[in-house]
Amino acid sequence: MKFLMITGRTVNQGAYVERKLSAQYADETSTCFMHQFDMMDLGITDRERVQVTGPCGTVVLVIAASEDVNPGTVFVPYGPYANHIIGGHTHSTGMPDFKSIEVEIEATTEQRKGVYELMEELGGVAYDR
Amino acid sequence: MIVKDVVCPFCGCLCDDVEVTVEDDRVVAVDNACTLGTSKFLGDHRLPGPIRRDGNGWKDISYDEAIRYAVDMLLDAERPLLYGWSSTHGEAQCVGVHMAELVRGVIDNTTSVCHGPSILAIQEVGHPGCTLGVVKNRADLIIYWGCNPIDAHPRHLSRYTRYADGFFLENAFRDRTVIVVDVRKTETANIADEFVQIRPGGDYAVLSALRAIVRGKTDTIPRSVSGVPREQLLRIARRCKEAKFGAFYFGQGITMTRGKYKNVRNAIELVDELNRHTKFTISAMRGHYNVYGSNEVNTWMTGYPFGIDFARGIAFYNPGETTAIDVLARRECDACLIVASDPAAHFPRPCVEHLAEIPVVQIDPYANATTAFCNVQIPVAVTGIDAAGTAYRMDGVPLRIRKVIESGYPSDEEILSRMYAMIQEVRSE
Repeated sequence: MKFLMITGRTVNQGAYVERKLSAQYADETSTCFMHQFDMMDLGITDRERVQVTGPCGTVVLVIAASEDVNPGTVFVPYGPYANHIIGGHTHSTGMPDFKSIEVEIEATTEQRKGVYELMEELGGVAYDR
Repeated sequence: MIVKDVVCPFCGCLCDDVEVTVEDDRVVAVDNACTLGTSKFLGDHRLPGPIRRDGNGWKDISYDEAIRYAVDMLLDAERPLLYGWSSTHGEAQCVGVHMAELVRGVIDNTTSVCHGPSILAIQEVGHPGCTLGVVKNRADLIIYWGCNPIDAHPRHLSRYTRYADGFFLENAFRDRTVIVVDVRKTETANIADEFVQIRPGGDYAVLSALRAIVRGKTDTIPRSVSGVPREQLLRIARRCKEAKFGAFYFGQGITMTRGKYKNVRNAIELVDELNRHTKFTISAMRGHYNVYGSNEVNTWMTGYPFGIDFARGIAFYNPGETTAIDVLARRECDACLIVASDPAAHFPRPCVEHLAEIPVVQIDPYANATTAFCNVQIPVAVTGIDAAGTAYRMDGVPLRIRKVIESGYPSDEEILSRMYAMIQEVRSE
């Protein structure tokens, strides 16, 4: 199903922003807030995983039911998971499209990756000491 | 020991009433700060010392070796990018600008991915703003548009708006109206007197409709604009015109979405229009605690607030070309110095992919997502905890940020000054 993805700040994302290697940061920034009507259409329940495909790639996120987003829209906290699929075009403003991004979402049994697994996928080396 | 009146180095509110309890040069308790500030003061897991990437692993190196590596990287580069700067003190930012000029690099701060579009709009039509104190004491109408202070600036509401006392308001909580405009029903929307929910990407149209209504052109408004009923638009416009003093705060809800700086320009022009009827101001909810300072420092040193390219030997500014996202996405820079920021977590994928292909040095107290792309990382003191310096609040008021503990880590300014001196030495030969 097609959705508009909005990214934004949450208090938990901010509280763990200096602890990017923590489980709490990964949990928060890999959450995809979705309206329950859309979850019924996709045949998924709370805390199940979805594969989200955007302009630049695919990432596995964990669904959280939310009445705060309208059907057709999903909200993902700022962070490495959302950015894994966002493109770098800025329309000559310096600012990429971090909001209202068209994405395709489907249920998946794939595991959600860790922050450093995503970084390794892009050519980085984990610092795990 | 309890240290009073500490300035919180998290968001642009720079709350200056925080109390920090220190024992044996460790912060053990924090009072008055929000969740964000408290977690920063109590932050642990600092990187113990400089590290260098060694194949698929890491090895410890000395500060001297790390600084030498960073200097050589910048001297060898043809088009270095110096990025970050918003979570450090102004004194360090000054050294950064001097260094960028000397190595003929591009220097950009996090503004380009937060309120860069707001600054572009302000450069076009001006900024009818005021300090937070004026809003606290006078404003009887607050609009939060595309921002969610309960999550991003938690004490903005208690110190300056919804829950704050006001000198010229008899009963501030009762006399102040709060309107929230957003595409989703945020926590802030839940405490508003009125919530206006617009369709994603509809900000420009709704702002234009409000401008038309304020001008008296109500007949031109359709039954609904981007999901907002005509009646609600008429009511909001009336409330704005009837207010004695209105304050419009906006966030990344309008800078990051379609229209970008044109949305902000429209919002400023709405406020301009409202000033024909009453007093109204508009300001951006700045995120990093010293992102405003990075704009100030860059502007007084180069004439431009962010995205400055010294390749020509003079300061050149063209957002969309000289901004970090564009320089990385075009795979243009051949080295990157990152100071007090984490672009690997916050930049779109193509930019991060390019970071993996070039030498990167990061100056930051913590291991973060960008660490994975570093050749060298140099840990430093955290300004506001173990380093002092100057920062600018979101309303442009500079405050002295205090040091509350001694950690032994060098400050950003010390590391950058050493690097700058070494680069100067080579360049003067």
